[in-house]
Amino acid sequence: MIPRKPDTTEIAIVGAGPAGVAAAVTAARAGASVTVLDEYARPGGQYYKQPVHTDGGPSYPHSLASTIQQGRELLEGLSHPGIDLQCNTLAWNISADELVLDLYSPAGARALQAQRIILCAGATERAVPFPGWTLPGVIMAGAGQLMLKAHGLLPGKTFLLAGTGPLLQLAAVQLLEAGAQIAALVELRSRTEFLKSAAHLWRYPDKLGQGFATLQKLLQARVPIKFGHTIAQALGETEVSGAVIMRVDGDGQPIPGSETRFEVDTICLNYGFTPATELPRIAGCEQYFDQDYATYATATNDSLETSIAGILAAGETRGMGGAEVAVIEGQLAGSVAAQQLGFSPPFDQNGLSDKRLQARAVAASLGKMFQLKPGLCALAADDVPVCRCEEVSAGEVRAAIRNGVVQLNQLKPWTRAGMGRCQGRICGDILRQIVAAETGLPLSEIQPFTARAPVKPVPLEVVGGPVAETDTLTWEDHVGGYGVART
Amino acid sequence: MKAQRISKIEHGTPVSLIVNGQEIQAQAGESIAAALLAAGQRQISQNSKSRAPRGYFCGMGMCFECVATVDGVPNVRTCITEVTPGCVVETGS
Ligand SMILES: Cc1cc2nc3c(=O)[nH]c(=O)nc-3n(C[C@H](O)[C@@H](O)[C@H](O)COP(=O)(O)OP(=O)(O)OC[C@H]3O[C@@H](n4cnc5c(N)ncnc54)[C@H](O)[C@@H]3O)c2cc1C
Ligand code: FES
Repeated sequence: MIPRKPDTTEIAIVGAGPAGVAAAVTAARAGASVTVLDEYARPGGQYYKQPVHTDGGPSYPHSLASTIQQGRELLEGLSHPGIDLQCNTLAWNISADELVLDLYSPAGARALQAQRIILCAGATERAVPFPGWTLPGVIMAGAGQLMLKAHGLLPGKTFLLAGTGPLLQLAAVQLLEAGAQIAALVELRSRTEFLKSAAHLWRYPDKLGQGFATLQKLLQARVPIKFGHTIAQALGETEVSGAVIMRVDGDGQPIPGSETRFEVDTICLNYGFTPATELPRIAGCEQYFDQDYATYATATNDSLETSIAGILAAGETRGMGGAEVAVIEGQLAGSVAAQQLGFSPPFDQNGLSDKRLQARAVAASLGKMFQLKPGLCALAADDVPVCRCEEVSAGEVRAAIRNGVVQLNQLKPWTRAGMGRCQGRICGDILRQIVAAETGLPLSEIQPFTARAPVKPVPLEVVGGPVAETDTLTWEDHVGGYGVART
Repeated sequence: MKAQRISKIEHGTPVSLIVNGQEIQAQAGESIAAALLAAGQRQISQNSKSRAPRGYFCGMGMCFECVATVDGVPNVRTCITEVTPGCVVETGS
């Protein structure tokens, strides 16, 4: 393959979620030329995902319509002539020295060189493994929300939502307003823990008010809320036909004999989030352990510059924070990058920095409230697959740990966990929890899987390998999942 | 289990696609996964080792459990790929 000269831009932004869009609009208004890349067909990211059929007007469930509207206002900024939005485009590699991104879209492979790169890759939802968690009909809570928000589609009739944190309650209200039956909302925190931790939010009456308003709606609709419980099993042969929940002790350990069964067709899970940090880690950007959310994220200074010159990060990639944080950080990062290139951004950066710190403080309080509990690892009995792609069981993982494995990278050669096509995005965080539970090491000492390019599987020829016929393309013709270069 | 299209929400122009040889109705702009769920097809792929059924899970292109062969191209994530009129989808591998 003859290397082609890369395209060029002043500021390249990976991700068209709230952070990336805010960064792009800010930098373009300052006069910079900006290229925004997103793997999805449409901009908006997770929170500001827009309906594909309509403008999300009054026919939408009330609680969704306002978010859709807010998102639309932000996204309108993308029509600025200084912004080149490239959807369906995966940034699969990054070179820190030359500030070059390798791109792949249905039109083929390209490279893009920028003077500044802002990484706004968002986050992934987290689930814990339990018997039956791979059955069709077990979905992430956000995946259920996306069907509703983007497609006006209810992915089931009778739902059970399980996990911990505010997203579950929000998703439950949205599903209800759309006409779903909710058999139960299963929250890991006990009622007392829930109320005690809500008290930490007293300084943020807005958040507290929103939280209680959501809860109130669920109570009014008589949705059974099972505090201090967890999902313990999904029932069904080829798809979900029921769920078993269990009470947990203070460590999250399920209490035998406390099983309750529900007839449901859909189970929605959310046990928090993991920041998407593959590209920053490939670039060599320093990572830090976010104590509030107990996850690794990308470190930056107050100007949102990472440890690598020319690369900035904003939004969830640099730590869980929610949509409001993402927008403020996007504005700040766009502003800083534009100013470094000699433009005059429209924002007072000091004002933005203050707003950012306040919003981050609220997010930190929320994170502390809803951390995972180590006892949940007991749900992954030895025969339950932890790595969904390679079907590596919890038993195999525990055996490897007994043989001395203490880091995820050491697990790969032992078990193949994390070597499948999701590249450890779904199991990585939970494997860290299992290693911590088995070894007694603090979570902060257990590193995520090493990130390698390509960040998602791409056809071999994209990375310079032999060209395969598309009609015979298999996973072995992809790099990044089952493929070569992943050892 | 069929996913329900919420009746009061306006939906897009109807398009049809061929799934495992059968014609199904979808709406322009929606993802192939949405069309499959609305047609009652929850199993989209199978695990390569155990052959256990897998379906729509993360909804955001991360888990690769919703992959199907689309117009001859295998391993396409149906949750982030929009339907095109007449597209041919083979599930279950
Ligand atoms: C399912 C889900 C539901 C959520 N619900 C809420 C909520 O109700 N309230 C709230 O405050 N927060 C919520 N969050 C948290 C949330 O992600 C946001 O706060 C917000 O969307 C974060 O914005 P962001 O710009 O950082 O990332 P995102 O919105 O996640 O956007 C990241 C974008 O980057 C793109 N991308 C990533 N990597 C690449 C790559 N290598 N190449 C090309 N494109 C790439 C993705 O396609 C995506 O569009 C939710 C998160 C998820 C995952
Ligand atoms: S549902 Fe996870 S990639 Fe499509």
